Amino acid sequence: MIRILVQADPIDVEEHLKDLGTREDGALVSFIGRARSRSRDKTVTHLEYEIYESMAEKELRRIAELVSARWPVTDILIVHRYGRVEIGESSILIAVSSAHRDEAFQSARYIIDTVKKTVPIWKREFYDDGSMWVSERS
Amino acid sequence: MKIRVKAFAAVREILGYREREMELRDGSSVGDVFGILSISFEELGEMKDSLIFAVNEEYCDEERVLDNNDILAILPPVSGG
Repeated sequence: MIRILVQADPIDVEEHLKDLGTREDGALVSFIGRARSRSRDKTVTHLEYEIYESMAEKELRRIAELVSARWPVTDILIVHRYGRVEIGESSILIAVSSAHRDEAFQSARYIIDTVKKTVPIWKREFYDDGSMWVSERS
Repeated sequence: MKIRVKAFAAVREILGYREREMELRDGSSVGDVFGILSISFEELGEMKDSLIFAVNEEYCDEERVLDNNDILAILPPVSGG
């Protein structure tokens, strides 16, 4: 099962994880990306994510489908926030269940790395003295 | 023909809009639209190497020829996660 969600509301991690996987799955790997308080030697007050919603959902689904074709995994969940995200809150939740741990770990890693490269979502960091759009390259 | 241009994040701030209709000559490409916009928005032209384009929610390059009613999105480098 593939489940893709983009939302402005905070992510309820426990609620999402409890429904994932089957009795045949021995592994459930989750990755949570959180808004951190330091970046570029500055204090970050909060983040704002802008999203091309319809295309982002499509890209996230495409990534999940690729993963499910490449590794024997059962469930894939990707939840991404948009709008304002406070420090310490989760901006993304990725979870993959599978019979064995290797494919769950590899899939989760592949998903977060690919999300950062291809999904049309933009992060703006806010500091005490201003704000800027950030990218992996900057 | 008419297309819609969508702009996000830094590109949206430069253009000053999220979405706008644009009248084009038939056979215009993504690169043609970008060229037109770069004349009015020099800052956009300077960002060219880092920008990505999508037509109807599929990534494409600037050679892509546009059709009537296409939606062209101009995207700065993504930074989700």
